[in-house]
Amino acid sequence: MVCERVDYYTGQRKKEGETDQICLAFSFCIPEVLYGYRGPTVRVVACILTHLSSNKISWQVVSIQPHTTISELPEHFCEAVVIERLPSGVFADPFELQHLVQRGVFVDAAVFGDTNLELPSALSNRSVVEVHMDIGHNILSKHTDELEINLELPLHARYPPLDGSGYSNVEMGIPDLFIRCSTERNAVCERCFWVKRAEHIKSLADAVLWRIPSGNKAHSQVVSYVTFTAAFLSTVLIVLAAVCYSPNSSSKNLKKLQKS
Amino acid sequence: MASGRSPYERSTYRYSPLLAFLLVPNSFIHQSWGKFLFSASDLLVGILIRSILKLRGVPEKTCLSSVALWLFNPFTFTIGTRGNCEPMVCAIVLWIIYCLMNGSVLQAAIWYGLVVHFRVYPIIYALPILLVLHPLNLQTGQKLVIQKWSQIQQESSLYSSSTNLFCMANPLLLLRNLFTRRRIIFGLLSETVFLIFTGVSFYLYGWEFLHEALLYHLTRTDPRHNFSIYFYHIYLHHEHAFSVVEKLISFLPQLIVQLVLIVRFAQDLPFCLFVQTVAFVAFNKVITAQYFVWFFCLLPLILPWSNMRLKWEGLSCIFVWMCAQVHWLMWGYLLEFKGKNVFIQLWLASILFLAANTWVLVMVIRRHIYSSVFLLEERRTSSKTRKLQ
Repeated sequence: MVCERVDYYTGQRKKEGETDQICLAFSFCIPEVLYGYRGPTVRVVACILTHLSSNKISWQVVSIQPHTTISELPEHFCEAVVIERLPSGVFADPFELQHLVQRGVFVDAAVFGDTNLELPSALSNRSVVEVHMDIGHNILSKHTDELEINLELPLHARYPPLDGSGYSNVEMGIPDLFIRCSTERNAVCERCFWVKRAEHIKSLADAVLWRIPSGNKAHSQVVSYVTFTAAFLSTVLIVLAAVCYSPNSSSKNLKKLQKS
Repeated sequence: MASGRSPYERSTYRYSPLLAFLLVPNSFIHQSWGKFLFSASDLLVGILIRSILKLRGVPEKTCLSSVALWLFNPFTFTIGTRGNCEPMVCAIVLWIIYCLMNGSVLQAAIWYGLVVHFRVYPIIYALPILLVLHPLNLQTGQKLVIQKWSQIQQESSLYSSSTNLFCMANPLLLLRNLFTRRRIIFGLLSETVFLIFTGVSFYLYGWEFLHEALLYHLTRTDPRHNFSIYFYHIYLHHEHAFSVVEKLISFLPQLIVQLVLIVRFAQDLPFCLFVQTVAFVAFNKVITAQYFVWFFCLLPLILPWSNMRLKWEGLSCIFVWMCAQVHWLMWGYLLEFKGKNVFIQLWLASILFLAANTWVLVMVIRRHIYSSVFLLEERRTSSKTRKLQ
C-alpha cells in the first residue's frame, strides 16, 4: 500500500527545531484511490502531566475532539506516537520499554541517544524516547466528543552532579504527540508527512520539576576517610583470623565432632 | 546473535559472546530456554556438591544436608530461574574441583581456561589451584590419595610448615617445586584455552568484546548505589578521574586478604576458594546480589568440616548477614523508589554489611577444621611406616 499525506490540514509541515512547543501532529494515511478525500479536523484539548514519581511519569496526554464525523471514512487504525526529549539526568530503560511492548502496553518503543544506564549525568548525554500506542480503530468515524489517551512512561534518574542542597532539580518538558491513522494495521507509512496543529495546544503543565537526590560534596573527605578505614580494619581482622588460625586445635575439635 | 548481529549492540551486555551463543535457542526453541539451562545448571551444582563430598568420604546424611542447603536456598534458585548465568559458572567451578580431586589435571585446566574467559572472577582461583598441584601431592605415576573426612589430621600443619621452611632454605628445591610438570601443564593449557576463546571472540566482535566482556570488569567503578562500601566515595569523586594511587589504595585490601588466605588455606582447596570468594566479593568495588551465589555454591563443601553449631553460632551468623543486607535494602528502597536523599545512611549500611561479612568470615575461619584435600606424600609414608611397625 502506498500511503500519501492527506493535505487537508491547515497546519504547516513540521520544521526542524520547531517541535519544542508542539503537542500534536497528525498524519492520515489512506490508499491512493482515496487520495483527495477530505477528512475531519481534530482538536487537541489538553496535554496534562498528571503524575511524577521517582521512577515513573504519567501523562494524560491528549483529548481529541473531531469537529465533524465522517461516516464514509474507510476503516482505519490509529496509533499515538509520543516523543519525549529527556532532560540531562533522566533516562528511559530500553529493556523495560521492550517488556512493555511484549506485554502489549505499547506497540513499539525506542530510545535514541545515550542508553548507558549506569553513567551519572555528568558523564552522559541526553536521550530521546519514542513510544507508539494503539488508540483503537475507526476513532475518527465515531460520534464521540472526546478521545482520551493516557500514557505512563517509566523513567529513571541518573545520579546528578553533586549539590550542597542534597537535591538536584530536573525540568521535565511536555512531549510531542503525533497521531497516525492508516487503513491497514501496522502499515509502513514512510511517505507520510506529519502535520502539526500547533494552534490547538493547551498545555496545563508547561514544565515540571523533578527533585532527584544528589550527593553532597561536603561529605567527600569524611566518606573517603571512613571508607578506607573500614576497609583497612576489615583487612586486619581477616588477616589476623587467618594467621592466628591453628589447624591443631581444629583437629581436636574434629575428634569431638566425630564422637558426637 | 540469532539474527546475525552482535550481542554487544545491546547496551550493558558485558559477558562473553559464548553466553549469547548458548542462549540462541531462546529465539527458535522457547523463550525460556536460558532459564531452563540455568536451572539445569543449578541442579547440576547439587549433584557436583554430592560427588565432591562423597569423594572426600563425607557420610551420606551430611552429604544430603549439604546438597539440600544449596538446592533449597531460595536465593540461589531464584537467581537461576530469573535468567542469570551464575549457576553455570558455579557448576564449572565445582567441576574443576572435582577434576582436580580425581587427578584429571588436563580436564581441570581446559575448564578453568573456559570459565575465566566466561566470567573473569575465577581468575582469583589460579594461585590456590597451582598450589594444590603440589609436587608432593601429585607424584608422577602415583595415584592421588584424597584425605577422607573421617581421617583426623594432626600432623598436617607441622608437615606443611616444615616442608615449606626446608624449601625456603633451599632455593633450588623451591624452584624445582615451583615449576613442576603438572603446574606448567595446567598453566599452559588453561591459558591456551582462555586465549583461544578470547581470540575467537575478538575476531568476531573486536574491541567491543574486549572492552565490554573483559576490560570493563577490571576497571569498573560504578557510582550507582550497590552493596560496596566504595560506591559513595566513587560517586563523590566521579567528576574527576581517579589517580593510580587512589585505585591502588582501594585495590590493596582485596589483594592482601587474597594473598593471606591463599597462603594459609590453599591445600584445603574448597575452603580456600570459599573464603577467597567471600573476601573478594566483600571488598569489591561493585557488589550486586548475584555475586553471593559465587560463594553459596562453595558453602556446602565446607560445612562438614565446620564445628560451628547451628544453635546459636550458625543462626547468629545467618541472622547478622541477613539483617545487614535487609537493612541496606531498606535504605536502597528509600533512595531508589521514594527519591529520598539517604546517601549517607545507605553508605553506612554498606559499611555495616562489610562488618557483617567480616564477622561471618572470621567466625567461619575460626570454626573450620583444616583438612588438606590430598594426603601428602610425607604423610602417606609416615602412616605406612606406622602400619608396618
